[in-house]
Amino acid sequence: MTAPVATHRFQVGDRVQVKRANPAGNPRTPAYVRGKSGIVTVLHGSIDNPLDHRGIYPPLCSVLFPVRDVFGGASRDTLSVDVHEDWLAPAGA
Amino acid sequence: MLGTGGASTDTMAHSTQAAHGHMQDHEGHVLAVEADLEYWRTKRLEPRVLQLHRRGVVTLYDLLRAAAHISAPPIAASIAEHDIEGRIRALEDRLDDYIRGIGLASIDPPEHPSVIEDTRKERGDYDDFFRIAKPHHDGTLDERIARLEHELREYQRLLQVLMHALLEKGVVTAEQIERQRAFLAGRGAWNGALIVARAWVDPAFKQALLTRGRDAVRELNIPPGRLGKLGVAENTATLHNVVVCTLCSCYPHDLLGDPPWWYRDDSFKESVVRDPRGTLAHRFDLPLPESVEVRVHDSTSDVRWMVLPRRPAGTEGWSEEELARLVTIDALVGAAEALSPASIARTER
Repeated sequence: MTAPVATHRFQVGDRVQVKRANPAGNPRTPAYVRGKSGIVTVLHGSIDNPLDHRGIYPPLCSVLFPVRDVFGGASRDTLSVDVHEDWLAPAGA
Repeated sequence: MLGTGGASTDTMAHSTQAAHGHMQDHEGHVLAVEADLEYWRTKRLEPRVLQLHRRGVVTLYDLLRAAAHISAPPIAASIAEHDIEGRIRALEDRLDDYIRGIGLASIDPPEHPSVIEDTRKERGDYDDFFRIAKPHHDGTLDERIARLEHELREYQRLLQVLMHALLEKGVVTAEQIERQRAFLAGRGAWNGALIVARAWVDPAFKQALLTRGRDAVRELNIPPGRLGKLGVAENTATLHNVVVCTLCSCYPHDLLGDPPWWYRDDSFKESVVRDPRGTLAHRFDLPLPESVEVRVHDSTSDVRWMVLPRRPAGTEGWSEEELARLVTIDALVGAAEALSPASIARTER
């Protein structure tokens, strides 16, 4: 069901930034992580999900963000958000 | 909301209910019915009606014709007006019927495929313009219950009319409906409990579950479903996972049945991403020590997450069936730990 992981542009451990603007095609990325940077933790590949949507979306990554980077505060808790790669760009160090 | 038939499911519903105790919070129960009722109407039933109408499959005129054959659902059997708890329980039962009915109306005949994405636009997920308005559910508790009783009757009537029209127009057959009914009855939170129990006793199964997701559940004779990938987040001594879908309410429905009612509630979604630890502590009475990291998984529709809770102490030598009874629907999304053996013993005394 899952396309080869080789189609991914990113690797586990990469630091990535979520784009602010909505790339054409898939609108489904939570607004609160737009513009935020996180670490890729899981590569899911391109997921064939014909019951939910037509066509194949770009490869999907789980990206881990500290809550404090997204919403401020001092929490050490984390947000793992699944983001399609067309929403992601490499982040500076 | 757990009862989907079958002895095993009943056992679980019993233990969950017992753990939550007697109905103490009437307001909370009414709020839950209001939220669920409107979710299923505005996100599932009416977008489907509009979609079928636009495609000319079942038009509004077909519905009018079908309505002539459907009488209004009977008023619920004699529950005294002052019996608030009885009326709320009756509402919850009828809401379950309504939700199961929508499941039957969402059959996917090959000529008229029902892809969830198709109704997302229709139901206003991307554009407020298309959002279906929800009525205000305000007033006294009594007024709110009376309004729900009325609305549930009306909404159920629309559902019956739609089913009649689908059959009349040959969009679905009675046989397909029966098959769907059997399919829906066979899934539920009990599946999730069985999966967790097997993972507790069988390390090889756990490894397969964490790495391969859905494929692994076949060995439990559970149909794996095919609604995206199943993500499984394992709780450990230093990590507690909690699942949310802030964009809609993605959940492995096809495998685990319905999520807890509050999973679709906007106030839960907003608070759990901003303050996961505080939300668990205050909303779910689950305070976690500082040494435990709380990790929120915000799903897309492509990976549907469930939590693998930790096995409670004092359960050495328990059978899988016994262990499964410790796993509540809340534990499957990380809003609770698995029940302790002591809490089960208490409820059975």
